[in-house]
Amino acid sequence: MYPVSSQKRSWTFANEGQLMAFRVEQNHKYVEEHEEEAQGGDLDEYFLTPSEERLLLKQYEIYLFDFCRRFDPPMPKCVVGTAFHYFKRFYLNNTPMDYHPKEILATCVFVACKVEEFNVSINQFVNNIKGDRNKATDIVLSNELLLIGQLNYYLTIHNPFRPIEGFLIDIKTRSNMQNPERLRPHIDSFIDSTFNTDACLLHTPSQIGLAAVLHAASREQENLDSYVTDLLFVSARDKLPGLIDAVRKIRIMVKQYQQPDRDQVKAIEKKLDKCRNQANNPDSELYKERLRRLYTDEDDMPAEDASFHIADVSSDTSAMNISQ
Amino acid sequence: MDDQACPRCKTTKYRNPSLKLMVNVCGHTLCESCVDLLFLKGSGACPECMVPLRRNNFRVQLFEDPMVEKEVDIRRRILRDYNKREEDFGSLEEYNDYLEEIENIVFNLCNNIEIFETNKRIEAYKRDNREVIQRNKTRVGRDEYALEEMLELERVQEESRKKELEELEIEHKKKKARDKQALIEELMYSGKDAAQIVNEFAEKAEKQREEEKQLPPPKPATEFSTGIKFGQTADPSLLPVPKSEEGPLFVYEPFLVLTEGPAPPPPTEIEAKGYIAHIRGETPQENAGGFTSTIACERALQEALQGLYYTPTAGLSLAT
Repeated sequence: MYPVSSQKRSWTFANEGQLMAFRVEQNHKYVEEHEEEAQGGDLDEYFLTPSEERLLLKQYEIYLFDFCRRFDPPMPKCVVGTAFHYFKRFYLNNTPMDYHPKEILATCVFVACKVEEFNVSINQFVNNIKGDRNKATDIVLSNELLLIGQLNYYLTIHNPFRPIEGFLIDIKTRSNMQNPERLRPHIDSFIDSTFNTDACLLHTPSQIGLAAVLHAASREQENLDSYVTDLLFVSARDKLPGLIDAVRKIRIMVKQYQQPDRDQVKAIEKKLDKCRNQANNPDSELYKERLRRLYTDEDDMPAEDASFHIADVSSDTSAMNISQ
Repeated sequence: MDDQACPRCKTTKYRNPSLKLMVNVCGHTLCESCVDLLFLKGSGACPECMVPLRRNNFRVQLFEDPMVEKEVDIRRRILRDYNKREEDFGSLEEYNDYLEEIENIVFNLCNNIEIFETNKRIEAYKRDNREVIQRNKTRVGRDEYALEEMLELERVQEESRKKELEELEIEHKKKKARDKQALIEELMYSGKDAAQIVNEFAEKAEKQREEEKQLPPPKPATEFSTGIKFGQTADPSLLPVPKSEEGPLFVYEPFLVLTEGPAPPPPTEIEAKGYIAHIRGETPQENAGGFTSTIACERALQEALQGLYYTPTAGLSLAT
């Protein structure tokens, strides 16, 4: 039930300003901790700024959507929705400089598959990833617990898909609209574009669903206003302005969405390669060293033993290149 | 058990798993086949102590130690004659002395101490107390008889109770049939409203059922089948299991569906108002699992309406 869910209690926020504040705070925290890495240079030149982080994440949300769309076997919509939720929630508490979005992206999808009971094994899963599969397996599995922890173990996601079904049933039953099924393509494309916005962190799934239905109706030159005012809100007219406001905000958010500029993102990624937290970079010496210590501590084996994948990873930086 | 061996033919349990050791009054063991061989004529001497033995006195050895076997045997024989009870003595002291004497005799016979004198003592006792011995023997018989009588009584009681129950059942069935017949006749011939008649009869049946319930419950048994009264066996050394501390009792709270939106239609309306027509019907497999399309329909409608009234409140902070 959404009204008593953790999603409403802990993961639905008042406005976009609040979200921005969290992201800026994470960015500042990282810059403060790693200040000496810039070696006295301009901090803004060396580290990503909050707005650059946003652009980068926007680009990776597009990658995330493409990855889900091309996934084999084809995944149900709710997995995509859940993965987006996880991705957005994770980067409220973390900065992409700490954890590279391409790694978190795959982990989000993997956890979402599990939570939404879309059964794929890790081998099947990494078959969808280009590049070194062993390495990808290691990355996804080692990040899984981190991700779940950062989500505060709140894994249940209320997606707008079931509310949409409910609205369609209700419209078919109570309103006299002709063939509501023709709304579906518009609804689907609207929901897909809400994934690129922060709508799911600001509004309830039923509001997003209703916004999608209303948007689709206007695309089909239909008017469902009377359905909303005379049937849905007939007994609670005073609540109507709140809903209208929410629907309007969601539609504006979708309308105002702009795809990030490719060249800009490429520059940001280059910058990120330098300033990212090397302790979390599986290609860095620091990371390998840390792992080696971890393994040798555990069973006193010489570090040269190649029984684990991470140690013999070549300098192949194209692993997990979902972006290509 | 490994060293269970026949002293004569040296067969062991290991070599012959079906080895059966026998023992006679002297307390020396022999295996079954040796007994067959030595006592072919029905009697003979023990190969170890040369005591003359009879074949039909051989018994299967129950205890590992043949001496225990011997003592059990002797004790049984002695107690056949020394069968006085506490009531036969004037005081507890005398009774204790008597028990002491029995133990002495048994010990002497077991350990071959003053066998001659002891046997003489037994003979003298038998002679002096012939009457008492005889009387006590019959008394034992009487005790057994009383026990049998009690069992018989119990069986009879059980039977009569069963019969009573059966009769009650038959009576009940007959009455039900009569009532049904009466109802049908009433419906056929009376001019009253049919629904009213049915109601009247249902009420009457209900009342009767309640009356039956008020019948006194069967008298609780006051004794065990062995004739021992309840509560007498309570052994002070066996304390009841201490009651564990129980937490507060569970209080049922009805499940409250929060909507924060327009109220969804109740399940009865989902079918009545035609919501159900717009959703796929359940497959037989789904139905076997207890799912109906009404449930799916209800859930979709509920989720559509939940949280529609939501308006953001400032000051929400990220859970950490």
